[in-house]
Amino acid sequence: MTTSLTPPRRERSLQDQRARAAFWFLAPMLVMLFCVAAWPLFRSIYFSFTDTTLSNLYGGKWIGFDNYLSRRELSSGRVLWRGTLVDPAWWNAFWNTVRFSVVSVTIETILGMLVALVLNAEFKGRGFVRAAILVPWAIPTIVSAKMWGWMLNDQFGIINDILLNLHIIDQKVAWAANINTAMFAVLIVDVWKTTPFMALLCLAGLQMIPRDIYEAAKIDGVHPVRVFFKITLPLVRPALMVAVIFRILDALRIFDLIYVLTPNSDATKTMSIIARQNLIEFDKFAYGSAQSTLLFLIIAIFVMLYIWIGRVDLSGESGK
Amino acid sequence: MARSVTPRRKAMFTIFAWAIGLIIFFPILWTILTSFKTEADAIAYPPKFLFFNWTLENYVVVQERSNYMHYLWNSVVIAGGSTILGIIVAVPAAWSMAFVPSARTKDILMWMLSTKMLPAVGVLYPMYLIFIKLGWLDTKIGLVVVLMLINLPIIIWMLYTYFKEIPGEILEAARMDGASLKEEILYVLTPMAIPGIASTILLNVILAWNESFWTLNLTAANAGPLTAFIASYSSPEGLFYAKLSAASTMAIAPILIMGWFSQKQLVRGLTFGAVK
Repeated sequence: MTTSLTPPRRERSLQDQRARAAFWFLAPMLVMLFCVAAWPLFRSIYFSFTDTTLSNLYGGKWIGFDNYLSRRELSSGRVLWRGTLVDPAWWNAFWNTVRFSVVSVTIETILGMLVALVLNAEFKGRGFVRAAILVPWAIPTIVSAKMWGWMLNDQFGIINDILLNLHIIDQKVAWAANINTAMFAVLIVDVWKTTPFMALLCLAGLQMIPRDIYEAAKIDGVHPVRVFFKITLPLVRPALMVAVIFRILDALRIFDLIYVLTPNSDATKTMSIIARQNLIEFDKFAYGSAQSTLLFLIIAIFVMLYIWIGRVDLSGESGK
Repeated sequence: MARSVTPRRKAMFTIFAWAIGLIIFFPILWTILTSFKTEADAIAYPPKFLFFNWTLENYVVVQERSNYMHYLWNSVVIAGGSTILGIIVAVPAAWSMAFVPSARTKDILMWMLSTKMLPAVGVLYPMYLIFIKLGWLDTKIGLVVVLMLINLPIIIWMLYTYFKEIPGEILEAARMDGASLKEEILYVLTPMAIPGIASTILLNVILAWNESFWTLNLTAANAGPLTAFIASYSSPEGLFYAKLSAASTMAIAPILIMGWFSQKQLVRGLTFGAVK
C-alpha cells in the first residue's frame, strides 16, 4: 500500500489528513482500552502492595512486598517466610492450572483439527452436523457445567449408566466429587465445550486452502497422510497459532467451569479460583490482589514464550 | 495411486461424521429431553431415554417462578447494545490500523491481547468501585459498557484482519476520483467489508450472550440477563433437574436457533485473517 514514489504535494496533504484521521479514529479505542486494561490493572497491582480489606477499600496502607513474600525473624532466631510465594495452596493451584491448560489445549487442538477435517469433507447433511457441533461452544459455561455436573452425577447420571452398560467401569463413579477423577471431569467438559471452537477455527483455515493444491497432490499420488503433514498443516498453521494463543489465555484463567462443577476440590483449584476465594470469601483482599497480579505476570510470560518460540506473527504480516 | 471414492466408503464416512455430530450434541439433546420429564422420571435409574410421560409442566413452573421474557429482553438489550457500541468504536480503529499502519500497530495489538491476561476476578473490585461511582450497578447500560469493553479487543482484531484483506488500491482509486475520507469509508470500504463485519457482529453477540462472570457479579433482579436466570436455578441439593433442564433449554433456545442459521458466516469469520 505504501508507494515508494514521492507523492505530489496535493496528495501529501491528503496523507497528512489521513494520518490525523487515523489518530482520531484510534483515540476512542485507546481510551476504552485504558479503562478496561490499564486502570483496573493499576488498581489491582496497587492493592497488592497494601493491606486493604473488603470492608475498607480506600483505607489500605502501603506494606511493600509483604503479600508476596516477607521474612520475619522470631526472637528464638527462627526465620519465618510468609506470603503467596511460599503458600502451598498457591503452588498447588499453579500446577493445577498449568496441568489443566497444557492437557486441555493439546487435546482440543488435535481433536479440533480432526473434527475440522471431517467437517471439511463433502457428505450429506453437512450443514446440519456443523450446526450440531458448533452449538456446545455457544452455550453459556454455567449451563454446560450444570448439564454435565448432572450427567456425571454418581446416582442418576447417564454417563455412569452408559459406561456400566459398556462394561468400561464396574461400579458407579462420583466423577466430580472424587479427588482422583475431578480433574478428569473438568477436562472432559472443557474439551467438549471448546473443541467445537477449535474445530471452527481450523475449518475456517482449511477452507482458505485452494482446492487445486489437493488436486495436484492427488494426481501425483501422494498419500493422504503425507498430504496432511506436508500441505494442509503448514498452510493452516498461522491460523492455528493465533487460535491457540486465545485458548491458552482462557485456559490459564479458567474459572467458571470449575467454580460450578467442582467448587471445593483441591485437585481442581486453579489460580483464578484461589484468587477469588482470598479476594471475596476469606477477607484477604490484598493477598488475593497479589495473587491476581501474579497470575497476570505468569500469563504474560507464557504468552511471550509462546510467541517467541512459535514465532507467531500477531499482525498476520508473515508470508506477504 | 489416486484413491477412488467408492459409494460404500462415502456412506461410511457420512455415518462416521453424523456419529461425531451426535456424540457432541448428545449432552444438549439429553438436557432438552429431560426438560420434558417429570422430576421422578428425570432421576429414574436406569435413565429413561424416550419412553417417559412427556410433560410441559416444568416450563409452566419455571415461567411462573421467574419471568422468562424479562431476562430474555435484558439479554437481547445487553448483547445487542454492547455489539452495536463495540462496532461503532471498532470500525474506525480497525480502519486506522489496517490502512494507515504505523510502527505502533503491533504494540496496540499486543496491548489488546494483554487485556485477556488479567483474571476477571482481579479487576472485579476496581470495576465495582467505578460502577458504584457512576450508579451503574444492576443497570443495563452498565453491563452494555462493560461487555463492550471486554469484547472490544477481539472485535477490533477480527475487523483489522478483514480490512487487511481488502486491497488498498481500491480505496486509493476512490480517493483519486475525489472521494472524501467519509465517502471512502462509508461507500467503498464498508460495503466490501460487510461479510467480515457480519461475522464479527455474530461472534460478539454470542460472546456477550454467554458472558456470565460480569453479568452475575454486577446485576441483580433488575438487569439480570439469561445467565442470571440459569444461575437462580442452582440448588445445591440438586433435586430439581427437570426444572433446571427446562430453564437451561429456555436460555439456550435463542442461541440454538441463531447458531443454526449462522454457522456458515461464523466459519468464514473466525480465521482472524491469519491464513492468506
